[in-house]
Amino acid sequence: MTSSGPGRRPIGTTILRTGVALACAFAVLAGGAGWWQVVEAQRLATSPDNPVVIAAARRTLRGPIVDRDGRWLARSSRDANGEALREYRDPVVSHVVGYASRQFGTAGLERTYNPELLGLAGADPMGGLLDKFDPSPREPLGLRLTLDLRLQRAAVQALGRDRGAVVMLDPATGEILALASTPTYDASAIADPATAAATFERLRDDDAKPLLPRATLGRYVPGSVFKIVTLMAGLGGDAISPATTFPEQPDAEQDGLVVDGFPIRDGHHPQTGDRALDLVEATEVSCNLWFALAGLATGGERLVGEAEELGFGAAIPFDLPTAASRVNDGSGDAPGGFSGEVELASAAFGQGGTFVTPLQMALVAATVANDGVLMKPHLVSEVTGEGTGAGPVGPETWRRVLAADDAAVIQAAMREAVEGDLGRLFTSGAKGTGVPTAGKSGTAELGGSGEPHSWFIGYAGGQTPRIAIAVLVEQGGRGGERAAPLAGDLMARYFELYGRP
Amino acid sequence: MSVAAPALPIPAIRIRPRMRSTELLLLALVSVALVAGASSLGATQRLLAARTAGETLASLDLSPPDPRGLAVYLTALFMVHLAFVLAGRRTDQVLLPTLAMLGGIGLLLMQRLPQDLVVQRWGDVALGLGQLQLGWLLIALLVIAALALAVRSDAWLRLYKYTWAAAGIALLLLTFVFGSEVNGARLTLSIGPLSGQPSELLKVILVVFLAGYLSENRTLLAEESTRIGPLRLPPIPYLAPMVAMWAIALGIVVVQRDLGAALLFFAVFLVLLYVATGRPAYVAGGLLLFVAGSWVLYNLFAHVQLRVDNWLDPWADPLGAGFQAIQALYAFGRGGLLGVGLGAGLPTIGGRLPVPAVHTDYPLAALGEELGLIGLLAILGLYLVLVIRGLRIAAAAQDDFRAILAAGLSLVVGVQAFIIAAGNLKLIPLTGITLPLISYGGSSLLANALVVGLLLALSDRGAEPPPPPRAPRRGLGRLRRGAA
Repeated sequence: MTSSGPGRRPIGTTILRTGVALACAFAVLAGGAGWWQVVEAQRLATSPDNPVVIAAARRTLRGPIVDRDGRWLARSSRDANGEALREYRDPVVSHVVGYASRQFGTAGLERTYNPELLGLAGADPMGGLLDKFDPSPREPLGLRLTLDLRLQRAAVQALGRDRGAVVMLDPATGEILALASTPTYDASAIADPATAAATFERLRDDDAKPLLPRATLGRYVPGSVFKIVTLMAGLGGDAISPATTFPEQPDAEQDGLVVDGFPIRDGHHPQTGDRALDLVEATEVSCNLWFALAGLATGGERLVGEAEELGFGAAIPFDLPTAASRVNDGSGDAPGGFSGEVELASAAFGQGGTFVTPLQMALVAATVANDGVLMKPHLVSEVTGEGTGAGPVGPETWRRVLAADDAAVIQAAMREAVEGDLGRLFTSGAKGTGVPTAGKSGTAELGGSGEPHSWFIGYAGGQTPRIAIAVLVEQGGRGGERAAPLAGDLMARYFELYGRP
Repeated sequence: MSVAAPALPIPAIRIRPRMRSTELLLLALVSVALVAGASSLGATQRLLAARTAGETLASLDLSPPDPRGLAVYLTALFMVHLAFVLAGRRTDQVLLPTLAMLGGIGLLLMQRLPQDLVVQRWGDVALGLGQLQLGWLLIALLVIAALALAVRSDAWLRLYKYTWAAAGIALLLLTFVFGSEVNGARLTLSIGPLSGQPSELLKVILVVFLAGYLSENRTLLAEESTRIGPLRLPPIPYLAPMVAMWAIALGIVVVQRDLGAALLFFAVFLVLLYVATGRPAYVAGGLLLFVAGSWVLYNLFAHVQLRVDNWLDPWADPLGAGFQAIQALYAFGRGGLLGVGLGAGLPTIGGRLPVPAVHTDYPLAALGEELGLIGLLAILGLYLVLVIRGLRIAAAAQDDFRAILAAGLSLVVGVQAFIIAAGNLKLIPLTGITLPLISYGGSSLLANALVVGLLLALSDRGAEPPPPPRAPRRGLGRLRRGAA
């Protein structure tokens, strides 16, 4: 070292520090490499536009997809040139199964499970360790769904020419039995290279948006079916009880309910006279003012919090892409992101800035049916075949959303809303089954002169309900008139197929 | 100013052999590793060819794809080693094997890639990618040997720093004016049949100049004599080079569109400023200038914007601007922990490579795929070894000039490797510079050979002592007194 002047830092120190800094920078590089090559490796190596995947897709016969009883839904064969050709059984499952097209990529379960169906799954870094010594390509795996093709067909037929969605699931397991969206499309025509381009273009330009899976990605004003969420929030937060009445409610039916200087109006319920309604009666006649007052008593934060417990606010983790349902757009300053009391009161009866997917509302019904426990919805019951990644997919609890006794209160109210003396007047159509049925209809006013969206959510079965349902018919009129009978028919079909309790 | 340096002092040759057993052992290890790699590469290539043709191979054939090329490379390495032994200088014994391994990995990669990626013709002779890389490697080894054996005094570097700076700026201006554009960046200078990227040579010149300037003005720069509000700055005249450097880096980005070189130059400049002064404030100030410059460039120039946007979200344009970056990530992903094996990666799309610039900008993606994370970490480790050996030489140097020069030479390689590796790994926007000693390219290999050769020369403990420090120039001397 050369002589240093007074107070001068020896150059060796700064060199050492520089070396340490560069070593740290290289550690970051190592971390980056580890991120792509270990953490993200599987996702990258199986991404649909990875050249290896593209090459495999042309050669490989994708694994079969069957419904819960083994009926085939998608299968592969080779064309004259030896290239793989995908065939789909029935357009009714197109929004679930999706398609695998050489030109247009993949959609639906074909996309979610692309690596498994192509035999590329298990390309995880540790699995890859052994794979180096075993160069034989993996077998494509298949999928067994929880879906019942017969129910799915019934749902699509029931929707008919209307645009809408039906979700049916087992509340105790989260198994999806039907997930219908209309209008639907012919996935085989997209998978066939000869017809793909023309078909895809026609579908994309169709005003009815047949490519949109309404059950999972469609977002709708919920109307009165959202009142079940309000009940959950109120009961869970002890803001309301089964005995809660609001003395101002009967008068408000005449003069409007003034919130923040803004009158909220609702029709009078002639069946109940001038009585102040309790929780069950208010649910039966779907009294907007009672729910507005219940929502105000509960508070915005609690209402939004409860909804988020149910899955609102983020995409629902599921086998298919889902849109996030929301109680409001979160832009307001009031608790919970509401703009104020008026929006909160309106949201409490389903006419605020709330947007929901049919799948989300089916989960609301299922949670009530399952005594307050929300099960994770799933469509695949088993990855079939042999090799890494194959195996059954069991039911999984997502979380307990509300206490069992609170759930019992809502169960009673929803039961009365279908079968009670008052409820029967509105929603009797849902009772097509001959078994105990509970539910809530909804009529989502859209403003303007168009017909409202017709909603029904509910469940049926004895002590332990076996089937929960959500039905949405776009501009289908009043909930009790279109959606409720449709749900009743489908639940009746379910008990016809699976036996009554 | 006289441009002619004093003739290199070449002493009378006296053969005084000195064993270099560490170097010999490490070179033997490198040879084993490279032969094993080449064998596995050859076997995999034959296996894949047979599978494509629908045949099965009767037996496993482990011969390398180009056994002669590999033999020539290894022989050259041992000849350089032998020359070092015979010369008897006490130079570093780890640098050559490290370089040999990195160069060898690059050679294997170039032999493995489609040979028609780069073709040079001289009359009837056409050389492909692997052969060209081998040729450049041999020339690089020659340069290293010449520098390590012949350079015994640093006076020719030390005394003429402004000449070097002038030469560097001249080179830069030549490129500005006469450079030809390749891929939207004006980096290539062609003189007759020869073409090269001057920025590679410039980085060495820059380090030499900075070592001269900083070692002379070290004390002054470390002082605080100018106060602007809360800021304590060194005398204003000494800040000028910093601002000039920043301006030159900006100029390189604007005129040459060479983000990589600009980033490298500026980073090395800042790091050396810190090494010389020990004042982190310089680094902080430099980073502020960097951020400001980047912001202005981003907002004014489309090519900068494209790079940054493409880094933030390559999936926005997966078939256009983002294609290569995405394909590189896929390559890393396919490689996983252990890699797919040399020769088994890089699936072609319609007969073309998914990453067109794999031999220059993206060799790390190919190596990451074929050698896996393990291989990638080993390669990063080799660069770190190179840098740390260089910094050891710097720390042991006899005076400030040699210390800063050695530190600068090693850091310029380390920082360059970091910039391109981080770009490949999507940690920073990609800038088109080469991966030192691995990427294809004569300019790059020769410039890095200069670096390693000079480091070897500087590492000789038996070398001539540095010349006595010169008296400071009068004007600056007054300033210094005023500051004291």
